[in-house]
Parts: sequence; C-alpha cells; structure tokens
Amino acid sequence: MEPNPLAPLEHFLPQVWFFILGLFLFLYILLDGFDLGIGILSLTSSNEQRRNILMTSLGNVWDANETWLVLMGGSLFGAFPLAYATILNALYLPAVIMVVGLILRAVSFEFRENANNKGVWNLAFGIGSFLAALGQGFAVGTVFEGIKVDAAGHFAGGMWDWLTWHSVLVALTLIQGYVLIGSTYLIYKTTGELQQTHYRTATIAAWTTFIGAVLITISAPIFHEHLRAQLFQPPLFYVFATIPALGVLLVFLLLRSLQKREEVMPLVWTFLLFLMSFIGLGFVIFPNIIPPSVTIYEASASPSAQVFMLIFVAFLIPIMLAYNLYNYLVFRGKVVA
Amino acid sequence: MDSLDTVVLSRWQFALTAIFHMLWPVLTTGMSIYLVVIEGLWLKTKNLAYYHHARFWSKLYILNFGIGVASGLPMAFQFGLNWAPFSEAVGDFFGTVLGFEGTMAFMLEASFLGIMIFGWQRVPPVMHWISTICVAFGANLSTFWILSANSWLQTPAGGVFVEGKFRVQDYFQAIANPFMVKSFAHMFFATLETSLFVIGGISAWYLLQNRLPNFFTKSLKVVLVMALVIAPLQVFVGHLSAEQVYHYQPAKLAAMEALWETVPAGTPADWSLIVLPNEAAEANPLEVKIPGLLSYLLELKPKLDTPILGLKEWAPSDRPHLIGLIYYSFRLMVAIGLYLAALAIVTIVVWWRTGLEGDRLRNYKWLWWGWIFAGPLGYLAVEAGWIVRCVGRQPWIVYGQLRTAEAASNLPPQVVLFSLSGLVALYTVFFFAALFFGSRIIQKGPNVALPVPGLQNAEQLEIRIKLAEHQPDRRPLETQQ
Repeated sequence: MEPNPLAPLEHFLPQVWFFILGLFLFLYILLDGFDLGIGILSLTSSNEQRRNILMTSLGNVWDANETWLVLMGGSLFGAFPLAYATILNALYLPAVIMVVGLILRAVSFEFRENANNKGVWNLAFGIGSFLAALGQGFAVGTVFEGIKVDAAGHFAGGMWDWLTWHSVLVALTLIQGYVLIGSTYLIYKTTGELQQTHYRTATIAAWTTFIGAVLITISAPIFHEHLRAQLFQPPLFYVFATIPALGVLLVFLLLRSLQKREEVMPLVWTFLLFLMSFIGLGFVIFPNIIPPSVTIYEASASPSAQVFMLIFVAFLIPIMLAYNLYNYLVFRGKVVA
Repeated sequence: MDSLDTVVLSRWQFALTAIFHMLWPVLTTGMSIYLVVIEGLWLKTKNLAYYHHARFWSKLYILNFGIGVASGLPMAFQFGLNWAPFSEAVGDFFGTVLGFEGTMAFMLEASFLGIMIFGWQRVPPVMHWISTICVAFGANLSTFWILSANSWLQTPAGGVFVEGKFRVQDYFQAIANPFMVKSFAHMFFATLETSLFVIGGISAWYLLQNRLPNFFTKSLKVVLVMALVIAPLQVFVGHLSAEQVYHYQPAKLAAMEALWETVPAGTPADWSLIVLPNEAAEANPLEVKIPGLLSYLLELKPKLDTPILGLKEWAPSDRPHLIGLIYYSFRLMVAIGLYLAALAIVTIVVWWRTGLEGDRLRNYKWLWWGWIFAGPLGYLAVEAGWIVRCVGRQPWIVYGQLRTAEAASNLPPQVVLFSLSGLVALYTVFFFAALFFGSRIIQKGPNVALPVPGLQNAEQLEIRIKLAEHQPDRRPLETQQ
C-alpha cells in the first residue's frame, strides 16, 4: 500500500474545523446569550420606560449577535455535511421552536418601534426570546446525551428523542445562564434603580444556574454509560475534576462581586463561567461531532472542501471580530432611553 | 405514501418560506445602494434635504430588514431540517458557499447596520457613509453567493457525482458555473429596480397629494436617473438569462413556452401570448400565437439554426409540471420589465417638457398613478422569475443529477405539517403587520426637524426655523410631528 499523502491533512483539518465551529458557537452563546437573556428579563419589566432601555441596549447588536448562529450553521454545513444533516434531522422540533422564537424576536424589534400599542410586541419579544433559548437548551441537551444513528451516520431515532428529563434539565439551566449573562450585561450598561433590579436578578440567576450545573455534572456520568466510560479515562478525568472545582470558585467570585456592587466584574466572571462550561462540553464531545459514535473524521467534508473554506474563513475571522468590536466601541457606555 | 407526503410538504414549506423571505431582502438590498447614493449626495452637496431623505427611507429599510432576517433563518436551517440527503450529497460545495455568504457578506451587513441605523450622532458623517457602503456591499455580496449557489443547482459544474456524493474538482469553476454571471446580474438589477420603483411610487404618492412636493421631486429625480439606466439594462440582461436557459435547460424553456412538440431546425418558431395547457393530453387546446417571433427572440433569425425541443422529448417523470404556472409567471415578469422601462422613459420626456419643477408636475396625475402602480410590480416580477427558475428546474433539485424527491429528509409528515402551519400563521401575521406599519411610516412622512450630525446647536435651530418658513405643513395638527 502506498502511503496516503493527505493523511496528516485528513487528521488535522477536521480538528481545525472543530475548533472554528466551537469558536463560532461560543461567540454565539455568549453574545446572543445576553441578548436572549435580556429578552427573557423584559417579561418582568415593570414599565414601558424600563423595557425601552432594555431594548435600546440591544438595538445595534442583536442582528450581528444572531449572525454567529448563521455562521455556525453555514460552516457546519460546509465542513461536516453529515453532521449538519443528521443533527438537524434529529433536532427538527427543537430547531423549529428556536427558529420560531428568533423570528418572533426579530420582528418584534421593528414592529414595536412603530406600534402605538406595544403590548403585543413586548410579549412576542419576551416569549420569542424564551422559546429560542428553550429550543437551544434542548438541542445542547440532546447532543450532550447522544443521537441515535445507523451505520452510515444517518439519524435513526424518533421525532421525540430530544425530550428527556435530562434535556429538560439542560434547557432550564441554559435559560438560567442566559438570564445571568443578560443581567450582568445590564448591570454594566445601566444605572440607578434598573441596575439595582438586575443586581437582584443576577444573584438569583447565579444560584439557579449553579444548582442546574451541579445537577448536570452529577447526573451525566451516573445515567449515561458512554459519558461515564469517557469521563473516567485518565486524560479527561483531570479535566472532569478541575472544571467543576473552577466553576465553584467562579460562582463564588461572581456572587461576591455582585455583593460588592461592582459594575464590570460580574460580567467578566460570568464570561469566564461560560467559557469554562463550554470548554468542558467540548472535551466531553471531542472527537465526536455526532455523539456518541460519529467522529469529526467520519463526518468531514472532503479535505479539499475544508482547505478551500479554511483559506477564506481563517482570513475573515480576525476581520469579523474587528468590526464587531468596533460596533461595541462606538456604542460603549451606559444606555440612555 | 408517507414519503411522498413528506416530500410534497417539504417542498411547500421551502417554496412558501422562499416566496415570503424574498419580499424583504429584495427591497433592502436595492435600497441600500440608493441610500449610499443619497447619503453621498448629502456629503458632496451639503444639501440637508438629502440627509433627511436618507433618514426617511432608512426607516422603511429597517422595517424590511428585520423581517428579512427573521424569515431568512428558516431558509438557512431548512437544508438540514428538511433536505438532509441533499445537504449530505452536495455539502462539499453548497455548504461551503453558504458558509461564505455568512462569513463574508451577512456578518459585514449585520455589524455595520447598527452604526448605520443608530450611529448618526456617534460617528463622523464620513464614517457613517462608509458604514452604509459596507451594509450595501454586504447585502449585494449576499446576492452574489446565493445566486452562485442557486446557479450551481441549475448548471452543476466543477466536479463529479461519485456514488451520489458531489466531489468538487475545481471550486472556482463551480462558483463561476455557466449560469452564475447572468443570473447574478439579473438579480442584482432586480433588487435595485424593485427598490427604485418602490421609492419612486411612494414619492409619486406624495406628489399626487401635493405634500412636500419639492422634497419628493428630489428623491424622484435620483430614482429616475438610476432607473433610466437600470430598467432598459434589466430587459436586456433578462433576455440573456432566457437565452442561457435555451442553451442549458431546454426542458425549462419548453415549459416557459408551453411547447409540447419540437420545432425543428430550419423552420420559424412562434411566440404565444395566451395558452391553456393540458398536461394530461400533452397539448394546448387554446393558443394565441405571434408567428415567427420566438425564433427572432432566440436567434435573431426568421428560421431556427438549432431545434427547440418540445416537452414530449422527455418522459413525463423527467419534465417540469405546472406548465401553466411557469408559462404565465414568465410572461408576467417580461411584461413588468417592459412596463417599468417604458415608464422611466415616458417620465423623462414629461420631465424634460416641464423643466423639472415640482409645482408644475401636479397636472400629470396619470403619470403619478403609473408610478404608484409600479411600486409593487417589481416584487411580482421577482417572485414570478424565481418560480420560473425553480419550479421550471423540477423534477431535479440539482439539474440532471439529483431528484427533488430523493433529496428530502425522511420525516413523519405530520411533523412537517406542524412546522409548515406554524410558519404560514406567523408569516400571514407578519405580512399584514409589515404592510400596516410600513404604510404608517409613509403616512407620517419624513421628519425634517431631525438634528443634523456635525452641526452646533445654534445652527440646528436656524435650520429648523428656515425649514418651518419654507415648507408649510398642510396636515392636520394632530398628525404633525
């Protein structure tokens, strides 16, 4: 047999793409996370003026934030077509819930602006945000738990496979996480009474997210055999032990900074908490892309497709980050109604 | 039977999403170029009217943009949700191009949109203009990638199908597939032309009411200068697009012309104006023809060099259905294209005779009605054109390579029905809400008292006083801003 000259490339490229997709997904969860969280929080706003400030804080960024999801979808389609097809096939209903939620949200922004009676669109905005977060929570929970596939990697499960008590737990925790990052973002962007309200919502959400995360961490290896086998292997075991410990520390630091009424640090701690959970999730999934059995190597597009896309995308990522950053810089500072 | 139902429902879902989605980016993509022009005119001439135009039209822009994004999301996800075998078979190329659309085009548009809408007082005017240019560039780059992807479905190039999976050999050849250049040009002009006639139609509505006539003759002038170039050019590019169908997709051309029998070389081909196709009988019981016109249109000759194949050349399972829909959609598009070009030319003649003065234009009510009527026509033409393009491609999803029926996900039909009814319900509400809020923005009119970026408070006040003197507002007091 002649050695395959593309072999190192076939090993390396899928890993690079796994990392890029991870980056897009993380930026999405972080950025649209505070976006959706603020949307959910708007359901509890006591008056129109407060709601106005909440929505103004999102006006210039919601669209760019949501675009990371489109990038994630498009890149998954290009780099791992099998995973794109199988995962969306398995997650049909949660994806529809999410898309409907995002649609409701997006139009509410524009319609509310022009409406005399804002009530309907306020509600649509809040409910849309909640539905989008719920759909995403079910999706994360399902991917975490594993998707049933046949030998060719095609979806072989039922339409309701995604609905289990475990995915419900993950969904509820993710919603809490979004509320947490939404609250800490609002602490950073607002002043006065509104800011005080969100110190309270942030504290509550920090606790509920923490409880959810503890339950997920404990239950995952107990109820899922494939996760147990993976998590207690030597390299992953240290990660599995370190991440919860760091998580407890970060939650402590977060709660303390909320106590001290700091403005920027709660957002920073929440950011780190998100980053750490995300890295943990990445370790549990890697090298699979359709857990528990289809690896990134099996689901990859051809190396030529991955190289071609990589040349452009790798060049574009710093540019995209730069003008996103510029956008945030232009609108820095506190929101005024 | 189950699989058939799922295919039909998935097709309905995709078609409805596409038809609805198309309505919004058509306007925003074209209008973004108009906004670049009008904002550039403001920077160049320092005439405040142009600034207030930019502010007024961008209100409609934002409304449309939000719904465009919202309705685009299900488009992006449907390939995986409803067309998983398709995604897997062509992901190497199709997914790559959609990824490019997101990273190169959509992100650019989305990021600078925030500055374009909310950044008037936060960045210098030139930076704002650059942001508007970025938005316009991003939007049109989206058109480019989407049209490249769709053209590839029409004329797959740059690789081969191995065991049902497309292997790309040359990406640039696949991107620049035979249909790409003319299709992109046709769509680029379509978005611009539709937007120009929407802006023109709304301006004409104001002129007809004699509301702010000087203000709206300004927008109409800009529209007219652009339309005079674009509308005739679009007729020409449209002709080139039809010609490429003749060369690459003869079955679609036969459907567009409702031709059942082959017209052999060396004979003239007739162009029909009205037919009543009967697909079961494979004939047109009723037909009104213009003798010899089709051979002129296709080859500029009274008699054909190459035959035009009739639908009977293909087995019924290999030819497009819904012949009547394809036939009349095509004619509707052509008629609208000609009407819009004629309207632009007639208007310039009237304008030349009246000396380009807003006040004297009041007598030309028929002309303003012609413009108001033209407002929605661009949308109709675009939808009709896409119906010809995509229904005419059937039964193939990738022309000649992959059948639509084999490309659908194996989903329980009731699940697809659930998502389809959800989308129909939402889209219906959004459509009427958008019409309602859009007409409210138009009713309200431009706010000429908006602060101008880069000026001191005293200057702002002076401008307001000047505007108040020179532009009496004839509306009832309670509707004034």
